[in-house]
Amino acid sequence: MLAASEPVTLSVPSIDVRTDLLSLGLRENRTLEVPPGEPGSPAGWYNQSPTPGERGPSVMLGHVNATDGGDGVFAGLRQLGAGDRIEVSRKDGSTAVFEFQRGETYMKNDFPPLEVYGNTAGSELRLITCDGYNPETGEFDDNYVVYATLVN
Amino acid sequence: MNKKMRLLAVPTLALGAIALAGSPALAADSSYSSTLGQLNGTTGTGSITVDVTGDQAAVKLQVSGLAETFMDGPYPHVQHVHGGAQGVCPTAADDANGDGIVSVTEGAGRYGDILTTLTTSGATTPAEGLNLELGGQGGSYTIDRTITLDDATKASLEAGTAVVVVHGLDPATAGVPEAVFASPSDLDPALPLGATSPALCGTLVKTQMAAMPSGGADTGVATQSSNTAGMIALGGGLVLAAAAGGVFVVRRNAANNA
Repeated sequence: MLAASEPVTLSVPSIDVRTDLLSLGLRENRTLEVPPGEPGSPAGWYNQSPTPGERGPSVMLGHVNATDGGDGVFAGLRQLGAGDRIEVSRKDGSTAVFEFQRGETYMKNDFPPLEVYGNTAGSELRLITCDGYNPETGEFDDNYVVYATLVN
Repeated sequence: MNKKMRLLAVPTLALGAIALAGSPALAADSSYSSTLGQLNGTTGTGSITVDVTGDQAAVKLQVSGLAETFMDGPYPHVQHVHGGAQGVCPTAADDANGDGIVSVTEGAGRYGDILTTLTTSGATTPAEGLNLELGGQGGSYTIDRTITLDDATKASLEAGTAVVVVHGLDPATAGVPEAVFASPSDLDPALPLGATSPALCGTLVKTQMAAMPSGGADTGVATQSSNTAGMIALGGGLVLAAAAGGVFVVRRNAANNA
């Protein structure tokens, strides 16, 4: 495990993602802030979660789509599979390397907070995006969460 | 049209970033959580998060699958933060009188006295501990409210000895004869023992997350609809926004909050 250092960029070579990371907090209603929805928007790190490489679940958020109807930065998360690496560069110049463990789909109205955000024995990463597009409402009913663990 | 929209979207990205930077980032002093374990034959589940800021605590308790009915009405489940003892939950071995149910009194050596009553509304003092009207009603419910912590509860949280206990057993799964279930409660002889005994229990542990988010994330961009008219309306909104430089038009039409 690594000492605390805020993340700067996230890269997932297997799905060709490389993005700067915004620093995101909570809204008034305690839900997560999300990055802007415009095309080309970066992903973000939830700044009240552990920094990537520290003990605990570090949380990253990215949109599945964009306001132009095209892909968001995390559109390809579902293609991730066993062994895929996720790399996070950090302010102290180090890189935390994580390995994909599993992906889970949760209905937003039945989201298990402690499974996703609860304490972990080691350093872990959570990549969160949306899923379950509902054409009747134009909204996304689900979250897709990638669970990854620190390799180095 | 696609290319045009991309071009027009550039200034709105900058505006979106400004709007984001201006939104408040709430941080709790500390967060605590627990996945509740089952006692006395309970088959339901529960979890709780507590975000403490000063003397205020945002509590979110979710339980499901507990006993649903009691005397033809919704089953009232009272729940408390206990503390000042070992900070752990009792086990079947704590059933001192051997009647098959670990009562509140028998468990108190492990989790201590009631410090805070997690009521659905109103006062949260120990005095409300058996106020059935302010308990959770039925087998599945959520308590999501901000309460004021007293010093004893706060100290117990910080010491790691605060334990959440949800009461009220299911006669169908408690595994004791009806006469035992219905025998007088150690807390109030007017109530059956089974109705007050601990069903779910968990120690509140400080979370690695400085503040627990509520629920999932709005990481899909809401599109007004999937049909062509909707896309034209969206494009129109962006044109207006670019011309006026107004972020409000953009936010209404392309609400970033799916």
